This record gives sequence, C-alpha cells and structure tokens, in this order.
Amino acid sequence: MIKSLFSIFRESSCSFEGQKEGEEILLLLRRHVFTIYVRIGFYVLLSLLPIVLGLVFYSYLLNRGWFDVFFFLSTLWYLGLWIAIFHSLTIYTLSAVIITNRRIIDSDQHGLFNREVAELNGSRVQDVSTHTNGVIQTFLHFGDVTVQTAASEKQFVFYQVPNPEKVKDVIMQMAASAHTGVKAKILPKEPVHNIDV
Amino acid sequence: MPFLEIILNVLFGGLFLVYWAVAFIITYHLTRFGVGTQPKRFAGIFMFGSLVLSTIAIILFSKLEISVFLAHLSQ
Repeated sequence: MIKSLFSIFRESSCSFEGQKEGEEILLLLRRHVFTIYVRIGFYVLLSLLPIVLGLVFYSYLLNRGWFDVFFFLSTLWYLGLWIAIFHSLTIYTLSAVIITNRRIIDSDQHGLFNREVAELNGSRVQDVSTHTNGVIQTFLHFGDVTVQTAASEKQFVFYQVPNPEKVKDVIMQMAASAHTGVKAKILPKEPVHNIDV
Repeated sequence: MPFLEIILNVLFGGLFLVYWAVAFIITYHLTRFGVGTQPKRFAGIFMFGSLVLSTIAIILFSKLEISVFLAHLSQ
C-alpha cells in the first residue's frame, strides 16, 4: 500500500482535468526554469538574513540571554520563506500550456484562487511565430511563442517557454494533422520535462 | 499567567493555524491541479519541510520563557 502511495511521485498518466477520450498530450510546457531560479535566488538571499543578524548582534544577544527568542523568531522567518518559495513554485507549476493531438490549453495561474484557462482547437491554428529577445533567452534557448488564430479571434502567446522552435514545429504538426485528419506523432510518454521539449 | 503571555500564546497559535491553512491550500493545488509528477514531488517536499520547521518552531516556543523575556523588555 505504501509503495502504491509513493508511486504518484514516480509515475503519472499525464492526465488533466477535462481530458477527452482518445486525447493524448503531445507537449506540456511551463516557463523556462531560469524564471523560477531567479525568484528562488531572491528567497535564498532572504534566508541569509537571520544568519547575518545573528553574527552582527552576537554579543548583544549573548549578554541579554535572548538567543532563545532569536532562534524562535528565525524559525518563524524560515517558515514564512518556505511557504513563499512553494507559493511561487505552485504558481510556476500550475501555469502551463498543454498541447494535445486535438487542441491547445493555456492555463494561467495568477494566484492561488485566480486562474485563467483558454482553449484553442487545432483546426483553428493559422500560423505560429517565435520571439527570442536578449542575451539570456538566446543562450538558454527560451522565448515567446505566438499562435495566430482565425482573424477576429485573439492571439495565444506562451511566454518564456523553452525551445520555442521545437514548440512551433509541434504546434504546426498538430494543426496540420487537425486539418488533414492524419494523427500527429506522439512524443515520449512523460513530456513533463519542460527543458527537453 | 500574565495577560501579555496569554496574548503571545494566542498569537502563536493563530499564526500556526494560518500557516497550516495556507500549507493545505498549496498542497491541494499542487496535487489536484498539477499535471505530471513534478507538482506531486513539490507537494511532498513542501509537506516534509513544513512538518520539520513546524516541529522546530513548537519546540523552541515551548522552551521560550516569555515572562523572563518580557521582564527584560520592561527594564
């Protein structure tokens, strides 16, 4: 039973809410990990604050015997940071673009209770363009992908996704198969690794 | 128990309740809406870390001599 409980950390059918019968995930995209590393780096810097304060006010805390209070307050600080880090990771993880063999689902998580989901049928894709801007995006191979739909409808923009060229190819392939009815080529089973698209 | 001590105890209890409410919401979101194994791993790590940090916070709070600290402050 314990083995089956822990299996959720290893294996996943990559299913999602509202998945239709016979619908398969071709790509699961999240923003490039660089974007979340920057934020986590900021939190890591904040985690050094109690250490710095402890070193600066060491003698003062020792003389007054306030180390117990200081350690307690530091733990509260780390609890706050821990929840802030995972709040950011939750927003990052749940903001995803799912490209299936039938449609594109763009899910934007703005807050824990603020979610926006847009969907685009494969047959409505007209053209796809990519935009890589700046040194970091060029060297780390990530950028924006814009999907143009029928004239009066809005554009779909996927920001800071890894390997935008490959993403563009997969979307075009999916759109072509939606138009012709020929099944799109399915990528390996667990397409969750957003770097190796 | 002096009035200030009671207030600090209630504050800590309230803070703890709020923390675990938010922790539950984050874990729920990651396991319920996350696609693939990555969100589930995040949820597991988050819960483990939260348990460890909460235990340390409770131990440190129970060892804390609030009355002594308050007496120091009032001096």
